[in-house]
Amino acid sequence: MLEYDFLINVWFILWCVIWAIYLVVDSFSLGAGMLAAFMPKNAGQLVQFAKSIGPFWSGNQVWLILAAGGTFAAFPLIFSKMFTWLYIPMMLLLIAIILRGICVELIYEDSNKNLQKVFQYGWAIGSLLITVVLGVAFTNFFRGMMIEANYVYAGTLLGLFNPHALLGALLFVLFFVTSGALWVAHKTTGDISGRCVNLAKKTSLAVAVVALLYILALFNTDGFAVNHNAYPVFYAVPLIAVVFALACIALCFKKSDKPFCAFVANLGTIFFGAATGVVTLYPYILKSAINPEYGVSIFAAASSPLTLTLMFFAALIFVPIVLVYQLWSYTRFKDKIPEGEY
Amino acid sequence: MDIVLLSRLQFAITVFFHFIFVPLTLGLGAMVAYFELAYWKTQKEKWMKLAKFWGNLFKINFAFGIITGFAMTFQFGTNWGLYSEFMGDVFASPLALEALIAFFLEGTFFGIWLFTSHKKPLLKAVSMVLVSVGTMISALWIITANAFMQNPVGYEMAADGSKVILSNFVEVLTNPYLWNMLVHTLLAAYFLSAVFIVAISGYHLLKKSNADLFRTTMKIGIYLMIVTAILLPCLGMFYGHYIGGVQPVKAAAIEAVWESGAEKPMYLIQIPSDSRGENIVQLLGVPYIGSFLLTGDFRGEVTGLNDIAVEDRPPVAITFLSFRIMVTLGVVFILQALAGLYLVTKDPAMESSKAQKYMKLMLYSLPLPYIAIAFGWAVAEVGRQPWIVYGLFRTSEAVSGVPAIQILFSMALLVLFYLLLFVLFLYLMKRAVVAGPEEVREHA
Repeated sequence: MLEYDFLINVWFILWCVIWAIYLVVDSFSLGAGMLAAFMPKNAGQLVQFAKSIGPFWSGNQVWLILAAGGTFAAFPLIFSKMFTWLYIPMMLLLIAIILRGICVELIYEDSNKNLQKVFQYGWAIGSLLITVVLGVAFTNFFRGMMIEANYVYAGTLLGLFNPHALLGALLFVLFFVTSGALWVAHKTTGDISGRCVNLAKKTSLAVAVVALLYILALFNTDGFAVNHNAYPVFYAVPLIAVVFALACIALCFKKSDKPFCAFVANLGTIFFGAATGVVTLYPYILKSAINPEYGVSIFAAASSPLTLTLMFFAALIFVPIVLVYQLWSYTRFKDKIPEGEY
Repeated sequence: MDIVLLSRLQFAITVFFHFIFVPLTLGLGAMVAYFELAYWKTQKEKWMKLAKFWGNLFKINFAFGIITGFAMTFQFGTNWGLYSEFMGDVFASPLALEALIAFFLEGTFFGIWLFTSHKKPLLKAVSMVLVSVGTMISALWIITANAFMQNPVGYEMAADGSKVILSNFVEVLTNPYLWNMLVHTLLAAYFLSAVFIVAISGYHLLKKSNADLFRTTMKIGIYLMIVTAILLPCLGMFYGHYIGGVQPVKAAAIEAVWESGAEKPMYLIQIPSDSRGENIVQLLGVPYIGSFLLTGDFRGEVTGLNDIAVEDRPPVAITFLSFRIMVTLGVVFILQALAGLYLVTKDPAMESSKAQKYMKLMLYSLPLPYIAIAFGWAVAEVGRQPWIVYGLFRTSEAVSGVPAIQILFSMALLVLFYLLLFVLFLYLMKRAVVAGPEEVREHA
């Protein structure tokens, strides 16, 4: 059997990786969803929008269930506290997930135009709400929460939606919208494709500005940079994110006929941006803003060695299998989607 | 307001709503996979039409079903935090494995199936087979988790008694409760799907639209009905004996047995009263059957509820009535299946006036298996009370310390939202049923 501390650390890394993969792969379906509210000029373009993510989004969303289930299996205490303390945001997230999921799956129903409108806006509102809750939640995790001794939570609902968290929500929205716009631009032809690239040019610039403010605010937060200062090598992570962000902007403008390159660069920014944040959490996942020692650490929350070992090997076997068939699924739908007649 | 009660109510609402969609997903998925495979093999248009029509109904049902399952995962954390902390080491692994092995398969290949045209019949068929396999693996893992709550095995207590720790995963997987429950749940799901298939096929046969197509599914539906309707009580009997052994208090509540003793009769008419600790009405006893149902032995010794402390008893009347409703419906189902078998053997075209009446009856009977399944789950979960993990951990100790007002808010929101969704679901299903195979448009 593997050594316990080693297993716990491995599970922290897996936790980070699974969340980062989720944010990357759902970024473009959520972004496309938000844009679906106002970008399509007619039903044909709406269906183009939906079809660009139609075959992929449900598989991508499972990474969120795995992230939640993985937290539960590896760190039950953290799962419990995270969901209890964020009760209302989590419930909103739940409703948003159900709303998005049902609407996006049924949006092709076009015999009833009113219903299709409902699905269109349901998809958009659901996507926006998911993105906002994720942005608010992660900013609070990065900043640290109002945790007192013995895991007593002293925070308030309003406190969760502090200005920094709202900035985080805006950043997530911009990231995902850029992702979605570039993906739709890549997957479609005609009017909508061009307009999406143009939008991405603006939002990729906006990402850079908001991300800069957001990061400055984070590094100004007490205790945020402890791990970075202890291991300066971690400063490379935000730098990589910056390189990807600049590459995304450059590719948006220089290679606007090939939006896929800018799309990949934006995913890189999201991945390393998320990594910048989660690196600072260690050895906690729920940090305390009151006193670092009050946080819920991975060592206090970890499951037994047997459970961690079992789940580690399950992840080792199945995560690569999932990645292979999910990537393969993208090769099945390579054709660009034209604007249909509706 | 009591947060335990509120949390239980919210969980019950969300899980019952989710389970409206689950059984049909299991049964219909397998049937659509069969049609897709048949089309790939034979290239006969009939199979493609069947796959399109039933696949469209599957799609709507699946879209509502898979996503409403999120509600349970969330609530383990939001409302049942202390339960999650106490049980996480054993209980969460099956949930994570369900996501890793089943949900990815279902989610990814559902997308591929939906967006692949019948010009690629092999990819279409293989995708649907994988979705269907995914739904069954999913059932396996979630029932593994539930079986642990009913009959905890393969664990040991932490030294400080604060939580359970996994000691033997193989025992968790070979828990006899799991296999009893899984077989029962799957059979019930296939029975419900069979009734759905018979009802919808009958609707089109009555309308005389696409009679050749719907005669095929009528036959499949009736054969599936007869097999599952008979297997359910036969295997259910062993399930009952098993519960009598591992959950004697639940078993006593199921039959409303208050006094311990051997050679117990079963009363056909009974009204139990929790507050009085006895049956107000108790008529028409059938000798020895009570003992047999609970122990598998006509002379078997049964523990009565009055020998169990009041705080360790489940709500007896609810458990008892739920079980009686389920079993009564089970008897109705056998009669319906036998009638169907008789009619379809005599008149495969289902054109006789008796067959026509039967098809109308089955259309209106469609809610019955849904009701039976809901009451079946009520027996399993209400009968498990007051324990959240049988004999180990009380439901009242398992909740998160969330202010009642927050739970009220989320519950109100969920109820309103679910009502809208349910109306939408019925509207979409009805429209898809009425439209028939010609009007199904493929996404690809």
